Amino acid sequence: VAKERTLARVTAHIVLVVVGGYIGASGIVALLSVALPAFAGMARSDAVVLSSMSGFIFYLALFLWGIAYRHSLRLALWLFVLTGACFSLVAVIHRVQV
Amino acid sequence: MASSGESDPSFRRVMNGVHTWTGVILGMLLFAIFWTGTLAVFDKEIDQWMMPAIRLQRPVGNVVLDKQRASYAAAVADHAFTWNIVLPNDRLTVVQTLWYGMRGPEYHYDNPETGEELPVVGTLAGSGFLYPFHYSLQLRFLNLGIWLVGLAGMAMMALCVSGVIIHRKIFADFFTFRPQRTSKRAVLDLHNVAGVLGLPFHFVVTLSGLVILYALYFPSGWIPAYGGNLRAFNQEAFGSFARAKANQPGSVASLDAMASEVRRLWPDEKLASVTIYYPGDAAAYVEFNTSSAGQVVNSGNTAVFDAATGALLSRRSKLSSVMTAYRFMFGLHIVQFHHWTLRWLYFVLGLAGCVLIGTGSLFWLESRRRRPAGGGFGFRIVEALTIAGISGIIVATFSFFLVNRLLPAAIPNRASVEVWVFFSVWIASLVHAWLRPSRIAWLEQSWSIAVTALAAVLFNAVTTGDNLARALWHSHLHAIAGMDLLLLLGAAVAIFAARRIASSRVDDGAATPFRG
Repeated sequence: VAKERTLARVTAHIVLVVVGGYIGASGIVALLSVALPAFAGMARSDAVVLSSMSGFIFYLALFLWGIAYRHSLRLALWLFVLTGACFSLVAVIHRVQV
Repeated sequence: MASSGESDPSFRRVMNGVHTWTGVILGMLLFAIFWTGTLAVFDKEIDQWMMPAIRLQRPVGNVVLDKQRASYAAAVADHAFTWNIVLPNDRLTVVQTLWYGMRGPEYHYDNPETGEELPVVGTLAGSGFLYPFHYSLQLRFLNLGIWLVGLAGMAMMALCVSGVIIHRKIFADFFTFRPQRTSKRAVLDLHNVAGVLGLPFHFVVTLSGLVILYALYFPSGWIPAYGGNLRAFNQEAFGSFARAKANQPGSVASLDAMASEVRRLWPDEKLASVTIYYPGDAAAYVEFNTSSAGQVVNSGNTAVFDAATGALLSRRSKLSSVMTAYRFMFGLHIVQFHHWTLRWLYFVLGLAGCVLIGTGSLFWLESRRRRPAGGGFGFRIVEALTIAGISGIIVATFSFFLVNRLLPAAIPNRASVEVWVFFSVWIASLVHAWLRPSRIAWLEQSWSIAVTALAAVLFNAVTTGDNLARALWHSHLHAIAGMDLLLLLGAAVAIFAARRIASSRVDDGAATPFRG
């Protein structure tokens, strides 16, 4: 029973890292796509391409960090805060630009 | 592998777990992607082998585009969205036309001098099957295959990083190969050598492969920035021309007149391809692309003409630096530049990737088998999947080649039958691996590799007359010679492996091809 519970916990942690890491990386990509043109004067299409290409590296870093991070709940919280902050800032930049 | 060490043992232990279990779960998917990707390096050459009708001498001088009208008329009748011509180059001696019609993609091959369609037998060959399998697994539903390949790509990068972290004597292992020690040791040495030598290639080729499809994998980039308008984004990013369809019938002016205008614009460039958007429509426009075969950055110059009048609508010769970086990664991955030495290097390093992934899985099986509770049901599943994933896909590929030379030209759905044979043989190899003891399964599948490879070479010679000696003699048949030689080499390696397995001691009832 204890072994099964460990297996379930490990599986849940992996799913959290794979899915949550992707969503977190997507958040960073979205933020950079709108922030680079707004603050660094980059062309809009260039910013999208650059941040999307970097997205794979963000995802890899989040994956490796998350898999080594022991506490699943705290990790979920961190990923939630990261993603929420990114998409909130995207919304703020949109609001300011309009 | 890594025991608990002195510097941050827990992190290294976690990375060891990541490396092991990512490899066990996604190893065979990765092997299939690497194997078909390695073959796709020579996709045009495989096309020539599987389509004897296109084995022509390279044409001299410019192709007369207006002679290709019959194919254009067929595309108009087929309600195609675009009609595309690829002009002859280093690796293609005929004119290839392509459109997406009501029955899916239509590939046709025309004689560059006369414009007559060549009698190509139904086959998807390298560029129509092995290459798309490499990135889509032929699972089109919901782009499921593309997402699985993306997941496998991310896993490959995680495997590269975790592999380096758990690997402490990286420099010493560079020079270590002990084939005469235990099979487990030899397999691990081979894994380490392939991994360390090929590490930069494996990491970069994986990353660049993912980057190609950035817009699909990370829609969160263009959706907020462009309000979900992908077309507007692509137009801005690539500076590509676009206009709406008129829904009125229209004609096409002389393509050769437009081509000479392109040659006047850029006298130093060679024409690579021509695409007509909205064939048959009054708003149709023609896009000319010049060749970028001399550089890694996969981007030539583009000129767009109004189809009806032949007037120049737009032209582009430079991309922004970010887009150039993207097209560099793109070109780095799809190897459309013409450099035979580099092309062979890609092929060899791709095979090294297959060896890396294969030996990783074999090492896990060898280690597991020795454990007291190692040979259970789950173990048998992984073992059968590994056998079918390594030797099975090779047998399936060679059967795909062989059946291409055996099927009569006239049978209906010939191309689908070939693909069906590929998947049937692959599934059969899994059933075989499940039913037979693993050592026997490896042995029999190794022999199957050798037999299918030799038969493919034999039947190519019998059905086309282009035997190895003739193919080596004529320069326009060198692609055929290369394919035959690689098949013979594959057969030789398979026979070597089979003999090695057959002579191995049957001490624990199981063996791998690398048993010493």
